[in-house]
Amino acid sequence: MNRIARQIGGWFEARLGIAQALRPILGHRTPRGAKWWYVFGSATLTLFLIQVVTGILLAMVYVPSGDQAYESLQYLNYTQELGWFLRALHNTAASGMVVMLVIHMTQVFLMGAFKYPRELTWLFGVGLLAITMGMAFTGQVLRWDQDAYWGVGVGSAMAGRLPIIGPYMVRLICSGPTIGGETLSRFFALHVFVLPGTLILLVVGHLYLVLRLGISSPPVAGKPVDPKTYDAEYERELANGVTFYPNPIRRDMIFSALTVIVIVALAAMIGPMGPGEPPDPTIIKSDPRPDWEFLPLFGLLALSPAPLEPVAIFGVPAIIGLVLILIPFVGSKGERSPRRRPVAVLSVILFFTTAGVLGWLGHTSPWSPVMDAWSGLPVPERMVKNLRPLELQGAAVFQVKTCRNCHALDGIGGERGPDLTKVATKLTHDELIRQVIQGGGLMPAFGSRLSPAEIDAMVAFLETLRPPGEPPARSAVTARR
Amino acid sequence: MNHGPVHPGEPPIINNADEPDRRGVLKFFSIVLGGIAAAAAGVPVLGYFFGPVTRMLRDKWVDIGAIDEFPTGQTRIVDFENPVRRPWDGVSGKSAAYVRRTGPGEFKVFAINCTHLGCPVSWFPQSGLFLCPCHGGVYYADGERASGPPPRGLYEYAARIEKGRLQILTGHLPTLNDPPSIATEKRA
Amino acid sequence: MSQCVRFITRCMALPLACVISSGCDRPDPANRPLRPSEVLDFGVLYAQNCSGCHGADGKLGPAPPLNDSLFLAMASDADLQRVIAEGRPGTPMSAFARSAGGGLTPQQVTAIVSGMRSKWSAATTRPAAPLSPYLTQVGHGTATAGAAVFSRNCAICHGANGEGASKAGAVNSPAFLALITDQALRRIVITGRPDLGMPDYQHAADGAARPTPLNEQEISDVVALLASWRQTAAQQSGQVAQAAGASR
Repeated sequence: MNRIARQIGGWFEARLGIAQALRPILGHRTPRGAKWWYVFGSATLTLFLIQVVTGILLAMVYVPSGDQAYESLQYLNYTQELGWFLRALHNTAASGMVVMLVIHMTQVFLMGAFKYPRELTWLFGVGLLAITMGMAFTGQVLRWDQDAYWGVGVGSAMAGRLPIIGPYMVRLICSGPTIGGETLSRFFALHVFVLPGTLILLVVGHLYLVLRLGISSPPVAGKPVDPKTYDAEYERELANGVTFYPNPIRRDMIFSALTVIVIVALAAMIGPMGPGEPPDPTIIKSDPRPDWEFLPLFGLLALSPAPLEPVAIFGVPAIIGLVLILIPFVGSKGERSPRRRPVAVLSVILFFTTAGVLGWLGHTSPWSPVMDAWSGLPVPERMVKNLRPLELQGAAVFQVKTCRNCHALDGIGGERGPDLTKVATKLTHDELIRQVIQGGGLMPAFGSRLSPAEIDAMVAFLETLRPPGEPPARSAVTARR
Repeated sequence: MNHGPVHPGEPPIINNADEPDRRGVLKFFSIVLGGIAAAAAGVPVLGYFFGPVTRMLRDKWVDIGAIDEFPTGQTRIVDFENPVRRPWDGVSGKSAAYVRRTGPGEFKVFAINCTHLGCPVSWFPQSGLFLCPCHGGVYYADGERASGPPPRGLYEYAARIEKGRLQILTGHLPTLNDPPSIATEKRA
Repeated sequence: MSQCVRFITRCMALPLACVISSGCDRPDPANRPLRPSEVLDFGVLYAQNCSGCHGADGKLGPAPPLNDSLFLAMASDADLQRVIAEGRPGTPMSAFARSAGGGLTPQQVTAIVSGMRSKWSAATTRPAAPLSPYLTQVGHGTATAGAAVFSRNCAICHGANGEGASKAGAVNSPAFLALITDQALRRIVITGRPDLGMPDYQHAADGAARPTPLNEQEISDVVALLASWRQTAAQQSGQVAQAAGASR
């Protein structure tokens, strides 16, 4: 039996030569000591394979047309057998792919693995990052709900700011003068043909270079890379190294398997993302937010002052891209160990801190007014209980004039303006009136929008807003001394 | 290796006996014909891909309702069908605008898109403000910028009255360097 | 090693069990996102549109409570629908119907009215005496008679001239009276503000039932009195404005 199997195998092998082709890959020598640091690239690739499979399966049901896409997503979520799970898996694995890719790049950067002779390997990786972010954005558009619609709208508005070519870019992004069915179809073609095709080409190139140049050995402080001696040195390390099969590849497999298990579990627990409300621009009650990958950019765009906005829109992504491209050329020689590269370590920390803070701000978006706070967030009952008739009317005026959309009471409400829970301890009667009438800072002037009685009533209410023990604000003259 | 298939091995290097001028001719034709073929196939492909850019459609007048539907001094939102919509656009082919009637025959029609990054602004009649949910842009009732990141006031559509009905000139997504068209034709 | 294997199998079992048992987050068609205009659930509509001023549970908001069976018994569906749709000009209550520049469809306005009734109407607290009509009858009361009713029934909390006292605030302030209509005053006189301790027309300040509830005439008279205060205040401020204009 065994003999027959071997004969059949041999027959095929003689014609296909697969084992012969694989032997150098599995048998290629890798430096010792790589251990578990080197598993993130293969995990990214594994997740990409999941994306290919789930993507193909979703495309069997999804209808990429302006009028049916939303319906077909609903069908996937609620009717199609396990459609919800496939959607969830595709979304979770996409996030996981971005995470693994970023970890992989960070590890390569910190360990100086991009240095001579692996500059091109790094550049292929940068290309893969760009394409993966492109997949994330186009994928979000295929969700064809409000967030998708306004995501394209925001992307168009950003591109539309470019001088001269701006309007043409808008038409190229939207595939026409406005967002519509053609926009979706084009994003679909990008998401399922163009970008994955490019991605696969880049992966092949990346892997070819990994095999050709070998993986770098773990960095040793005080052992800088010198292109003149590196190759001979690496040969020595390989001679002393281990073959890719069995141990390194086993580590890759175990980590990839664990990653997949976690992703599958998360997909099952979190469920599919959206679709939210239909992509109808006449639904004004909309609160568009990008997916998490783009929240730092969303935050940056809210926080950058108007004159710097073009820099934030075009400059920051361009600078990030340029820096990533230049890294292997600027730093192709020298120390690899993070212990001897404080600038590299600090810039990684700085980058992730900035992205994290911007992303968190983008998530909470304190600059956004809470659109239905005025009618949907009650005035705290403890405040209402002690109000007199004029102050009650004032509190109602405060709500109806949409003050609450930007100002919180007891921490609930908009965060664009200050929380007014204790405003009477900070501003006097006159200062309150002036602030309401004239505005100031980010606050528009309300003078022409309120009657004298409304101002009186609202200020009377605001003057009640102080904790029982604390004294009211004193007049500006005495308080500022 | 004895029983393996015959390996082609390195192809024998045939000493090219072709005359140099024939080699030159082959080289010439391979490049020229290849170039023509690439252009023949590539130009239409690129033309198709960039079609939305090269095909600049002009905006059209769209009916958005009878003027009596809009009370003087108030701002109302209207829905209308986008004039450049495709049959398969579904709800994404709809569009909306804010109509503010400033006098008996005077209208100001604003795009819903924030001039910052295009998100839909909401009108609050109680406070007389437009608020944007994305980055907190605020506009006054007359469309002027009040606060926040927008670089200018709301986009305004050209409007006209035809037989008691309000029409606006629309047909493309208004953006900073491509705001709504200005009416050039004379009123009929 | 075998421990490791066991750990891994356990890890694998989790998602598998989850998928099979569908105990995980399979989306529920009931949570399908709705267009804002399709929402007809009273709880959602009330929370989004009304709770800001009328309180999370229809009381203890700055605006008069809706969770008030007396008010609900008094106001007809048509009254409620009209106020929601068109607002109450002269008070902070704004118009919520789309036709009036708000965001609600006629169906949603109806849903709010019927939701209020089914959630907050209580048959048991129906008043014994016949109810006064909800809507104000113009010119029905007189301020002079109202002054007497006020000093008998209201002054104990609101002060002899409505200037406010320790128990309740002023009701003679020009700004207050400018932001409330006679109709809204009438409603408060009849229903009180039970959530804030103000008794209704059948009860006294201490919460005990009155021997004779305020009658229709008395209610109209008190409203007429408050309206006359408003007029005086408006005239005075008009004079002040004129004087300010003259002095310039």
